Amino acid sequence: MSNKYKILLVEDEANIRTLVSTMLETAGYQSIQAGTCEQGILMVTSHMPDLVILDLGLPDRDGMDFIHAVRENFLMPIIVLSARTDEEDKVAALDAGANDYVTKPFGSAELLARVRSALRSARRGEPDQWRDQRFTLQDLTIDYAARQVFLGDREIRLTQTEYNILALLSENCGKMMSYRTIIHAIWGYTDDGSVKKLQVNMANIRKKIGACPGEDNYIINEIGVGYRMNGNKQ
Amino acid sequence: MRKAASIWRDLGLTAAILGLSFLAGLWLQHMALDEQVNTTVVFGVFLISMVTQGYFWGVAAAFIGTLMINYAFTFPYFQLDFIIPTNLYSAIVMIVISVLTSTLTTKVKHQEAVKAESRLERMRANLMRAVSHDLRTPLTTIYGSATALLDEGENMTDDQRRTILKGIKADAEWLTRMVENLLSVTRIDAGQLQIQKVPTVLEELIDESVRKFKSRYPDQELELRLPEELVLIPMDPILICQVIINLLENGVQHARGMTRLSLEARVAGDEALFQVTDDGCGIPPEDLERIFTGQHHRQEPTADGRKRNFGIGLSVCATIIAAHQGRIWAETPKGGGARFCFTLGLEEQSHEQ
Repeated sequence: MSNKYKILLVEDEANIRTLVSTMLETAGYQSIQAGTCEQGILMVTSHMPDLVILDLGLPDRDGMDFIHAVRENFLMPIIVLSARTDEEDKVAALDAGANDYVTKPFGSAELLARVRSALRSARRGEPDQWRDQRFTLQDLTIDYAARQVFLGDREIRLTQTEYNILALLSENCGKMMSYRTIIHAIWGYTDDGSVKKLQVNMANIRKKIGACPGEDNYIINEIGVGYRMNGNKQ
Repeated sequence: MRKAASIWRDLGLTAAILGLSFLAGLWLQHMALDEQVNTTVVFGVFLISMVTQGYFWGVAAAFIGTLMINYAFTFPYFQLDFIIPTNLYSAIVMIVISVLTSTLTTKVKHQEAVKAESRLERMRANLMRAVSHDLRTPLTTIYGSATALLDEGENMTDDQRRTILKGIKADAEWLTRMVENLLSVTRIDAGQLQIQKVPTVLEELIDESVRKFKSRYPDQELELRLPEELVLIPMDPILICQVIINLLENGVQHARGMTRLSLEARVAGDEALFQVTDDGCGIPPEDLERIFTGQHHRQEPTADGRKRNFGIGLSVCATIIAAHQGRIWAETPKGGGARFCFTLGLEEQSHEQ
């Protein structure tokens, strides 16, 4: 038995299927493929892949159905592949349980970075990773037990809310978190001012951890969609 | 929401103008200039018909005006009496005036809307023509290269193959950017000049734009100047992102001899001002005006073929900013180079969410 990660690709375009599976196989992953939503759901159950790459525009059913169906029973990361650039589609896919998305057209480096990041965050979710109660990403350290955040040796003073947001993003490192998901987890309710409240808190967090616009920051923002802890930070 | 706001506005205007003409009437009566009262009220009705939407307010004002004259300013004073022919006559005159004025103003307003719409439509049409024309060149390269690799790939050296592959990549990237631009323009709904504006954090906008720009031009240095405080600007962030990237990209592609490229955003009065400045070859004064029109193609030899989309990116910018009711222009900064500026209003208009 090989111990390669098994990745299921659900995509109806044969050309893209060939391309993506070539990208995945040359990067050392095992790839299995499905051309329709139905077939994809069957293969998730029978093959138990470590990760799913899903095209949203499938011929038989909407890719959103696939996400809902898979999320009823499985937790493996789902990366959505979509030609749609509208934020609403991305947000809907994320809210339904997708972990991330890649917009077509994409390069192999971009896709593989997202795959690595999603696999890493799935691993982090396993129990033994939580025993030390610490999150580390480059110079950023979060001590969950003490609720403290460090940048190198220096402690960063955050408010309760700011800490909660940062901790939430770090627990889901690599996963794109929609505004709604974050707001729901932090405040428990949504009102008209929620997004603004979140944006203000994020602005403070950015300032405190020394983020520079356009640089490779700890937190990546995608306007109109949400925020992501940058698991691939170099 | 738009409707409710305009009804309140029209109601306010009608009440204010009627009130003023009533006061003026009282004053004229006090000064024993009774015959001028009618003229004043007619003038008020005329004004109301002109500044309000549709017929309703003008006609309503004509009725109220008639009652007002009838009640307060004509014999018998402070009684309603329609039997006297002069009263009936003035009522009819005022209603006719209000209907005619309303008809005229409604027509003019409609024409203005049509004009603005057709201007935007024209911009889009120009754009589509220019783009469709330019799409063929990269497709030719990609198609030709792929067939060459398939048929003759074995006879080529590694270097030759790499060169051809790099050409395919570059042209595919160019096509991607072009399609992004086209998608941006299609986001602007032709039917209604309005776009979906959401309050956007300036810093996040710049972050996303610069990140995308740097992924395409990793070696290009970019100076950033942003306000320290949190600034929220109502906009369609996807579109404005596109504008910023296009302006930066325009600098990289067309400002020959450029050593510095900078992006600055600041609040100036009730507007946000964005500036992209380079110290390259600059823009000839005669081109400053028409550089955004989409019909402008510089007749220069394009040795590397990479400069052919000059103007398309900029006319996309102009279309997007026009849809935001902002201003966009190019200028020559002191010391040479080129500066592209655009503004966005900071105030959210009442009919937007």
